Amino acid sequence: MFENLALAIPELFTLTNMMLMMVGTTAGLLAGAIPGFTIAMAVVLVLPFTFTMTPVQGLATMIAVYVGGLSGGLMSGILTGIPGTPSSVATTFDGYPLARSGKPGLALGIGVWSSFFGGVFASIVLMLVAPQLARIGLEFQPVDYFSLVIFALTVTASLAGDQMVKGLMAGLVGLLVATVGSDVVFGQPRFTFGFDAMEQGFAFLPVLVGIFAFGRLLGDVKNREKAHQPLGGETHVVHIDYLGAMREVLRRWGNLLRSSAIGVFVGVLPAAGSTISNILAYDQAKKTSKEHEQFGKGAIDGIIAPEAANNATAGGALIVMMALGLPGDIMTAIMLGALLIHDVIPSPSFISDEPKIAYAIFLAFFVANFMMLALQSVTLRGFVLITRVKLYMLSAVILFYCAVGMFALNNVAWDMWTLFFFGIVGFFMRALGFPVVPLVLGVVLGRIAEARLSQVFARSDDIGVFLSRPWSLFFLLLACFSIVFPLYQKHRGTAPWTRFYVPILLVVMAWPVFQMPGSIRPVLAIGMVIGGLALAVINIKRGSAPQATE
Amino acid sequence: MTLNRDFLTAVVFLLLTVGMYVATYSLPEPMFNQLASWTWPRTILVPLGLLSVVMLIQSQKSDQPAATLGGFLAWAKENVNPFLCFGLFFLFLLTLPTLGMLLGGLAYVFLTLCVLGGWQPRQMAVHAGISIVFVTGMWAIFSFALGVVLPEGTILRVY
Repeated sequence: MFENLALAIPELFTLTNMMLMMVGTTAGLLAGAIPGFTIAMAVVLVLPFTFTMTPVQGLATMIAVYVGGLSGGLMSGILTGIPGTPSSVATTFDGYPLARSGKPGLALGIGVWSSFFGGVFASIVLMLVAPQLARIGLEFQPVDYFSLVIFALTVTASLAGDQMVKGLMAGLVGLLVATVGSDVVFGQPRFTFGFDAMEQGFAFLPVLVGIFAFGRLLGDVKNREKAHQPLGGETHVVHIDYLGAMREVLRRWGNLLRSSAIGVFVGVLPAAGSTISNILAYDQAKKTSKEHEQFGKGAIDGIIAPEAANNATAGGALIVMMALGLPGDIMTAIMLGALLIHDVIPSPSFISDEPKIAYAIFLAFFVANFMMLALQSVTLRGFVLITRVKLYMLSAVILFYCAVGMFALNNVAWDMWTLFFFGIVGFFMRALGFPVVPLVLGVVLGRIAEARLSQVFARSDDIGVFLSRPWSLFFLLLACFSIVFPLYQKHRGTAPWTRFYVPILLVVMAWPVFQMPGSIRPVLAIGMVIGGLALAVINIKRGSAPQATE
Repeated sequence: MTLNRDFLTAVVFLLLTVGMYVATYSLPEPMFNQLASWTWPRTILVPLGLLSVVMLIQSQKSDQPAATLGGFLAWAKENVNPFLCFGLFFLFLLTLPTLGMLLGGLAYVFLTLCVLGGWQPRQMAVHAGISIVFVTGMWAIFSFALGVVLPEGTILRVY
């Protein structure tokens, strides 16, 4: 690892890269601070500028925006009570009351330091875990990859909760969109319906921007009153109490570590991004705190937990993208797109084949957290100015910018038409209650899935391989459990069967784990069976609904 | 039977699924015992069709009110700004070969700002300023700093 880091350091630490990262972090902080302006949108807007950069420059800039965006949300959340991004929703629960009680500087400082420590924790985990996960990824055959894609889509859909059917349908529509153009094996036209332009298919970035950014921006200006609203509430510049806040944060190191670990874990799960992790970490902090009655009134732990978790989530998402080449959320999907533009194809062998780029990306994530820390005070002033801009002004300019950026992708006007068409698709799907994240991931993963499936069938016609390969079986079983998960969540505590969901999960998942090579995993499988059985016995003895174990 | 929003959506999805499934029959047969061009789309379309049926059934169990033309028009009125923006973006793309990215962009951003923000003389002046600064700025950055040859149009030759 240290050899690879030594290779990556001169690659990353150039004046140009540092300048780009500083600009990226500032842009991310400002974008994250603007209510309604998501981090994904900020990363999308930066993307066209990275086309002419080297892979390291481009990725470092985008990571800086990502990290900045995750931390930027705390500014508006704490000062105005309006979360800048969904990933800082829980920050407002205690950040805003603390600021209102006359300690805005301390509240901001705690948020900044928690973000920083969460990010640094995730960078270290990223550097340690990603290469190991990539090594496991080398065991994957096409059939395993295919099953992993299926798992990723079912998890994404299951997060839609009550709208699971719509979530699954959205994922399938995404996969279907990816089939338009030409088939993966022979390159023959498919679903072009006589239009020559459609033979190119739909490039996934214009689809992604269309569905996500285009639809969202137009949602923001839906009626005249909303369009004329300024971006943020009334706010003013305050002095951030860095020193006092750092002491407070370090005193609560247990919460800091736990929340960061929750953030990384949630980030590793497909589609479960910082929107979920910040609330989950807040909930855990509240449950374990000795001062839980203070939560909601300005508890310091209530700011530490969501801010550490949301920054750590970015590290978790990067682990999967770097190690397996599969994007788990919108942000990593965009980054994957950026890598592909530079002819860098992430896969399990990516870290060992391209250590310079891979470790430069790891380091960029690490460095971006320091930049975020240093630039927070500066951007606070910019944020105060930006909050006065009206929503419609931003929307009109960004829509044009999206068009230019998507044209620059391949220098073809077709991509702008794709953007337009999927802007409409995204708008209507949102209006009809369909979650758009499964749709986007379906588009991104569709071609990967088909390519892997064709490789499976090129080797054999035997469908049994999906169940005979341990990793494939592992992911397919997880996919089945994830489909049932919304039901489990809904009926937990009321239906008796929910007592056995986790024990059955552990015992069933132990079977493929037991079949995996080496000695650690079979031992782990035995542990899973024992744990599952013990949990089942405990739950039977309790005779009531189980406590949350996951 | 209630013809509510989800019911109609499910019907549209079913029609889409059937239409696409039929279209897979015009796809070529595989060569060399490889994965056929239609295998993957059909693998997607079958569960999509089934889920559409599930949605159809769920729509009848839900308490969603029946969809009416009046309800749709009220929703459309509520979302008039997005529809106008889509319309303007469509015009922008349509006129791009003639106006080019610079003139087309200026016209598009100015009109979008005025449609969303208002047509008062003072507002129009602000909108014109925003359009000129941001569109020209972005156009210049992409053209000269990033080296992207943006659509030129037939009216103003720049490159």
